[in-house]
Amino acid sequence: MGTGALSSLGTRALGAAFAQLQTTGNNIANVNTRGYSRQEVELSASNGQFTGSGFFGRGVDVTTVTRAHDDFLTQQAALARSQASADSTRSDQLTQLEKIFGVGEAGLGHTATQFFNAFTDVSSKPQDQTARQVVLSRANDLASRFNAAARQIDTLQAGVTQQIRVSVSSVNSLTEQIAALNQRIVDARGLGQPPNDLLDKRDTAINDLSQYVQVSTVPAEDGSLSVFLGGGQSLVVGAKTTKLAAMTDPYDATRAVIGVIGQNGTRQLPDSLLTSGSIYGLLRFQNSDLTDARNQLGQLALGIGQQVNEQQSLGLDLLGQPGAAIFRFGDVSGAPLVAGRSLANNTGSGSISLTLRSPSALTAAQVSSVHASDYEVLADGAGGFQLYRLNGGVPDPAFAPRAVANGDIVDGFQINISGTAATGDRFLLQPAGSAARDLRLDMTNPKLLAAASPLSVTTGSSNKGTGSVLKLAVDSVTAGSHPNLPATLRFQVTATPGQYTYTWTDASGTSTPATWQPGQPIDYPGSTASNGFQLTITGVPVAADPSASPAVVGDSFTVGRNTYPMSDNRNANGLLALRDAALVGAVWSGGSLEPGASVTDAYANVIANVGVRVQSAKAASDLSTSVFDQASKDLASKSGVNLDEEAARLIQYQQSYQAAAKMLQVAQSIFDSLLQLSR
Amino acid sequence: MRITTASSYATTIDNLQLRQQGLSDAQARLSSGKRVLRASDDPAAAARAERALAAESRSDASKRSVDVSKVLIGQTESALSDANELLSQAREALVASGNASYSDAERAIQANKLQGLRDQLFQVANRSDGAGSYLFGGQGSNQPPFVDTPGGVSFRGIPGQTLTDADTSLPLSSDGQAAWLSSRTGNGVFVTRAAGNNVTNQPVRGVWIDSGSVNDPSQLFPVADTGYRIRFTSATDYTVESFPLATPNVVTAEGTGTFSSGRAIDLHGTSVNISGAPAAGDQFEITPSTPTLSVFAVLDQAVANLKQTGLTGSQRAQGTSDALRNVDASLGTLSAARSAAGDVLNRIDGVTDRLSAEKLDAQTQRSNAEDLDMVQALSDFQIKQNGYDAALKSYSAIQKLSLFQYVNP
Repeated sequence: MGTGALSSLGTRALGAAFAQLQTTGNNIANVNTRGYSRQEVELSASNGQFTGSGFFGRGVDVTTVTRAHDDFLTQQAALARSQASADSTRSDQLTQLEKIFGVGEAGLGHTATQFFNAFTDVSSKPQDQTARQVVLSRANDLASRFNAAARQIDTLQAGVTQQIRVSVSSVNSLTEQIAALNQRIVDARGLGQPPNDLLDKRDTAINDLSQYVQVSTVPAEDGSLSVFLGGGQSLVVGAKTTKLAAMTDPYDATRAVIGVIGQNGTRQLPDSLLTSGSIYGLLRFQNSDLTDARNQLGQLALGIGQQVNEQQSLGLDLLGQPGAAIFRFGDVSGAPLVAGRSLANNTGSGSISLTLRSPSALTAAQVSSVHASDYEVLADGAGGFQLYRLNGGVPDPAFAPRAVANGDIVDGFQINISGTAATGDRFLLQPAGSAARDLRLDMTNPKLLAAASPLSVTTGSSNKGTGSVLKLAVDSVTAGSHPNLPATLRFQVTATPGQYTYTWTDASGTSTPATWQPGQPIDYPGSTASNGFQLTITGVPVAADPSASPAVVGDSFTVGRNTYPMSDNRNANGLLALRDAALVGAVWSGGSLEPGASVTDAYANVIANVGVRVQSAKAASDLSTSVFDQASKDLASKSGVNLDEEAARLIQYQQSYQAAAKMLQVAQSIFDSLLQLSR
Repeated sequence: MRITTASSYATTIDNLQLRQQGLSDAQARLSSGKRVLRASDDPAAAARAERALAAESRSDASKRSVDVSKVLIGQTESALSDANELLSQAREALVASGNASYSDAERAIQANKLQGLRDQLFQVANRSDGAGSYLFGGQGSNQPPFVDTPGGVSFRGIPGQTLTDADTSLPLSSDGQAAWLSSRTGNGVFVTRAAGNNVTNQPVRGVWIDSGSVNDPSQLFPVADTGYRIRFTSATDYTVESFPLATPNVVTAEGTGTFSSGRAIDLHGTSVNISGAPAAGDQFEITPSTPTLSVFAVLDQAVANLKQTGLTGSQRAQGTSDALRNVDASLGTLSAARSAAGDVLNRIDGVTDRLSAEKLDAQTQRSNAEDLDMVQALSDFQIKQNGYDAALKSYSAIQKLSLFQYVNP
């Protein structure tokens, strides 16, 4: 053994210490680099040299540089980021949506309340043009508010589509990066040492990709990593990528769907393949929250517009004419006609449109307000059509799919089918979807507000009972021109104490006595839906009793045409009463009509609904963000750099370096000593 | 667990941001005074506040219609008070004209006075509310509602009242037909009248009948739509017969009696006094009262009567008696209408109170739902401020700690 061995030992120790110092320096330099994993030098003792007196160590070898890494934690962090990104994206969008449904004086609900309340002044002074003008201004306000809200929803939709496009191109660029990194990692493996920085970069790229879509990874033997969309669609295999595309929804060009670009062109990916990530959050917001908001807003607009028009049509305006419509939907007056959307790749010539029917135009078994839902119609090619109600873009299990034909009435709308549809052709029906956007004021002349009722009731001048007219309900404005009017309602006592019968006497004679149910509307007999009316008497009228002594003359109520509609306000009161009418979302189901909600209640429900969505989305986002934070911390605690630790190591390695240098010095001095011996 | 430098800094910064955001939210709530700024702050409270706001604006709207009703009914009440005053003057003129010593000329003066009063009453009945509608327009009327026609004043409108909406149901007009044209004829139960002499076919000249009174209500008009006729067969004897109102000539004999001037004749629960010297053939009719007496017809008839010359004392007495009876009936109806208007004004006060209470309730409810408890908010703000302060201090303390600080030479 000579001094050569000692100096070689010292040199190797010096090299190892320097390598450690260099790695520590690199760690310190990258303390703030995202995705950087702390690196460490792996040392091993060199195999000893055998001598007769045993093995002598030959110093230290630098085996490799490793990175502090944990596959599981890395995956967890990516997964958590995916969920957090989905939740926070949806929460952000919902916060935007919430602003459309304002509360208090600035809200749409208050505008609707003010519109109805404006009828109070018309009711107080039916001839006052100013009061009438105020109603029209309020109606215009209301329509503009609905339009503005619908436009804001459209703007949100446009933003979502834009974001999806940008996200998809980010995804594509990231998958390109991953593929390129895969290639370089495979190449580097030939060198026999792990390319730590490339691996870090790939992990970072996958983490970034997880922000947009949830992915799963499968390592290959050659060190490359294949990336799959959560549900199995491959994005990266080795150095090859499959590109995603943001396609326009085949029903609606303003909406976006995700497609994948294959060899045979672009095909749409089922939404179920995406399970989290910001794209999933956007799609969920678009398909569920935004659609619901648009439909609920539309339902509200339809409820108000249709019922106000209907009540208006029951009255007479200042010119004595039947009331014209105050609102219209779209450019033409009359029952709103909504074109159905055909799937872009339908092969048949069939098209479907909807006519929204006001409840009065429907038979009792069909009466229903419009649902806040979309519908899908599927053609069987043989002239048959199957109707599904959608909920969040998929068929609603609460609605049994039903076969429909041209002219059928479902949920308050009539289906009009024209042309020939081919097998598998699909159509999307949005009865309420466009109502808020299309609501317009259809009246400019305040004289045309129908404040008067076509009929009037006069109470007999010698009536003695407490009976008074609670309500005169008119089926149609033409009730005023019923040929047999005026008609007089009289009550008679019967053998049963406390039971009265009533008769109507008009130009056609006296009707058969019928039993009076106090509080119930009394129908005018022989009338049709177009000229009938019902009278409700409150209190107790005196009934005729010819057998009493002295004879009792019964009370009478005479219904006749309203000959002086100028100063009458009963239809204005009827319009005012719509404040309380359950006109939004009354639903015909299972043979009975479930009443809907009044405008105020309906709007309160809408804002509560949106509020709850925002609240729960925020909570979900808070939760998944904290899970993400925790996962990131766990990963960082494994692979991150701690400066104090590095400082300590720096001192440690510095000392080893100094010790190794000392060793060289010792070796040299030994060598010098030897040289001096020979001198 | 290893702490890594970058993530510990990031965590600290995140926490600082969270605290700052909390502080800023608390400050926004404090400065706006609202706990619920967006629906998501408390969806149930936001919905409750929305309903309360609707209730509040509804009370405001109802209040407006109540105010209109109050003005209109106030005007109606004062119109009816004017009418009462005018009609009382007419009554005085009638009483004065009953003076037997008056000459035809003096009676004509009274008649002219009555004529003037009648015209004023007509104007009161057609009084407008100053905004295009008429106080006594009923459910709807021509403009103006009362029109002179050859058959007397008629009501061109629909009897009844227009009402405000169902929340308040207060009248916006008065029933002109009921107030002015529908007093009960006669004494309110039956009508007495001199029906001419069926022998001479002349008016009854020497005898007159008072308006009568009710003796026994249960015996009144046992058969509906029947009238009674007292016909003198001589200066002392009379027969009583009944007849259906629709066919006055189909008579049923009911009995006979002996006449003595001023002594009451009882007849089916009624009691009438006939005074003077009857002639054979003089007839008086007793018929059920009907709600058809017009104020204007009463005065028109009285004026016509006063202007007629050459009547006997009995005829004058009959005329004055009839006119006074009718004016009293009209006065009664107008007074009743006036007191009804007063009742409505009372009711309006009640409704106004109710609406104010409802509005207050709604405001309270809204405030409870969305307003901030200031004390709690201030203390909350204080806590958040302290928290932020502590976070900043600890951050500045921690960031000084580093091994590099110590290993430096």
